[in-house]
Amino acid sequence: MISLRDVHKVYHTRHGNKVVLDGVGFDLKMGEKLGVLGRNGAGKSTLIRLISGAELPTSGTIERHMSVSWPLAFGGAFQATLTGIDNIRFISRIYNQDFERNLAFVEDFAELGPYLREPVRTYSSGMRARLAFAISMIIEFDCFLIDEVGAVGDARFHARCNFELFQKRADRAMIIISHDAAYIREHCDRWAVLHNAKLTLYDDFELAYGDFRIQIGLDPQPVDDQRPVTSRRALVETSQHRSLQDERFMMLAREGDWRRDAGQWSLSEESYAAALALYPYERSRWGQHGHVTRANGLHARAEASYRTACALGVPVQDVHDFWVFTMAGQSVDPQRWPLRGYVAGPASSQVPGRPDVELFARILWCEDRTDDGDIVDLLRNNATCDELLSAMLQDQRFDAAHPGWPKIVRTDQNPVRPSDGPRALPQADAPDGDEEESVAGWIRDICVIALPESEQDETQISLSKIRTMENAWPILASAGAFSDWPLTQSFLRDMAGSQTESRSQA
Amino acid sequence: MIETAPDQPAASSSWSIQCRVLGALLIREMLTRYGRHNLGFLWLFVEPMMFTLGVTALWTATKSVHGSDLPIVAFALTGYSSVLLWRNMPGRCIGALWANLALMYHRNIKVLDVYLARVLLEFGGATISFATLSVLFITLGLLKPPEDMLQVVGGWLSIAWFGTALAIWIGALSHENELVDKLWHPFSYLLFPLSGAGFMVDALPHQAQEIVLYIPIVHGVEFVREGYFGSRARAHYDLGYLLSFCLVLSLFALMQVRKVARNVVPE
Repeated sequence: MISLRDVHKVYHTRHGNKVVLDGVGFDLKMGEKLGVLGRNGAGKSTLIRLISGAELPTSGTIERHMSVSWPLAFGGAFQATLTGIDNIRFISRIYNQDFERNLAFVEDFAELGPYLREPVRTYSSGMRARLAFAISMIIEFDCFLIDEVGAVGDARFHARCNFELFQKRADRAMIIISHDAAYIREHCDRWAVLHNAKLTLYDDFELAYGDFRIQIGLDPQPVDDQRPVTSRRALVETSQHRSLQDERFMMLAREGDWRRDAGQWSLSEESYAAALALYPYERSRWGQHGHVTRANGLHARAEASYRTACALGVPVQDVHDFWVFTMAGQSVDPQRWPLRGYVAGPASSQVPGRPDVELFARILWCEDRTDDGDIVDLLRNNATCDELLSAMLQDQRFDAAHPGWPKIVRTDQNPVRPSDGPRALPQADAPDGDEEESVAGWIRDICVIALPESEQDETQISLSKIRTMENAWPILASAGAFSDWPLTQSFLRDMAGSQTESRSQA
Repeated sequence: MIETAPDQPAASSSWSIQCRVLGALLIREMLTRYGRHNLGFLWLFVEPMMFTLGVTALWTATKSVHGSDLPIVAFALTGYSSVLLWRNMPGRCIGALWANLALMYHRNIKVLDVYLARVLLEFGGATISFATLSVLFITLGLLKPPEDMLQVVGGWLSIAWFGTALAIWIGALSHENELVDKLWHPFSYLLFPLSGAGFMVDALPHQAQEIVLYIPIVHGVEFVREGYFGSRARAHYDLGYLLSFCLVLSLFALMQVRKVARNVVPE
């Protein structure tokens, strides 16, 4: 048994004392498996280190009445200049184990071949992970500490790790920390959430996960990467790693994954859609979104998602067959509207995706929700963002939303000057609720796409002025939006021309 | 369950665990430092031997004034070997824990073990080098065998104790403050000429003798020289002073190690 009683841990930093654990206590008996959920930096790894004995608590007691492993799959215990074999020999000596037997096991499990006789520093990260895990399995502990075991390696390696741990060592105690709630749900029988230095224990996964979800939703973590995004291309590129750093996105995406694995297509789509609402230009989840909607029989929606995934950079081959299936489901010949892959270059010539249609529908049609059928039609027929925008301008819904355009801005001819308004981005001064966030999100995206890179000031002015879908288009138009989009510009000129004509006739 | 790693070893097996851990760490240190290429771990003592030989040659060539009628070869051998002994140990212990933080995950390995392994390695290297060169010079007829073998060994061990305590103290301090690393180099460099390696206390003016004898390591070097050369050396030393100094220094070292161990955060 392991018992923690009133454990406190305080780190002294330059910014003062940081309380990482505040009165943590629990018992873990032989065979019990505890899963700990917590946000980045919540202190999960500290907890593991304290339990392993590598670090001492500031106050409180930790009693171990069984042998406890080091954090599993942890590669740091290697001396990188030594060979794999020397490292095995070292661990065998420290734990007084039979070296030959251990070597045979590691050779078999890690599948490193001759690399075992090379210095560890020449290994790839996957090879290191395999060696680390194999060495961890050499010593038979009563309690295994597992810190993010799913982070590296391929599916086969994971399957073999899971077999070693959860089948062969099913009788042992385990403490597992992970960002992946599904992993913890599957392998644990008790759960805990670490939040604000307090550990709350649960016997029911759904309760634990529910509280964890709320904590993640409460205050979004600041994203490290604060470089301004100045073009649609940059938007597509940064969405990938920014979304990976965003715990809200990752939680929703993982939720989508496990619901997908459980065959809950509608629920899974809900999770992916919620994740994509945060990062509409994150390509890979559009593919997942396509898969679950296809499985759910929503072929048009799946087609739009596949087209979006390709437009944002997923290789066409990866989704082609699935996409053909959705086309067949709608009885449409795939040859007629081919799938288009990502095109570099200015925003106007890039291939549009669903988020582009939705953004344009907001500013041109003042429509918050666009029909799947309309979206698919627009994506099939328009090969570039420019084509898409001018097609949507020609739609009667634009007239309906902005009657008599461009007449209404004639009264307000003066373009906005940089000195006129506040310079700060709306998101910078007020981290408001979710509602405010998502509004700011689409406004930011449309300004990035609409305004050329050179006019940062203009972009910021526009950002601060746009508050609703209704005033977005006039503001953008007067700020010179889409100025280098040829089709759009020629259409707008024609429109202005015809209006002057009709006025002079009157 | 078979072969379960015991959590709290019985007191009787603690010693064997300690030996096993130190042994494993020693081999690991040797492999990391010297590898398996060319001379491999022979470098352990070839390197200090080269140092000592070089200094001996230099001092012989320049006919250094050392203030006694002792042969210069013998003088350089005893002097420089002792410097290597007490000066390399702290040098190797500075930052040793940072380099081995990951080992703290193995509960049988303690902070002190990391330092002890490095100290033992340095002690081994310096001792083998000293012994080998002594035998070599004696065989070549450059040196007479030590007059009192036991006194040489005793002196050598007391210098080693001084070096060990200093090394562990400085090493543990350096884990908390990187200034220690910066200050150690000038300090050790300045202590070198004052340590008795390059002079006999007897040759100094009386006033200087009093000052120099405050430096504990001087007593050790004098003691070794008396063991080697007997009365010819006219050594000045107070073993009680040196040993009580080592005792106090060891206390400080262990306290500092305890403090570091309490706060150590493995990576």
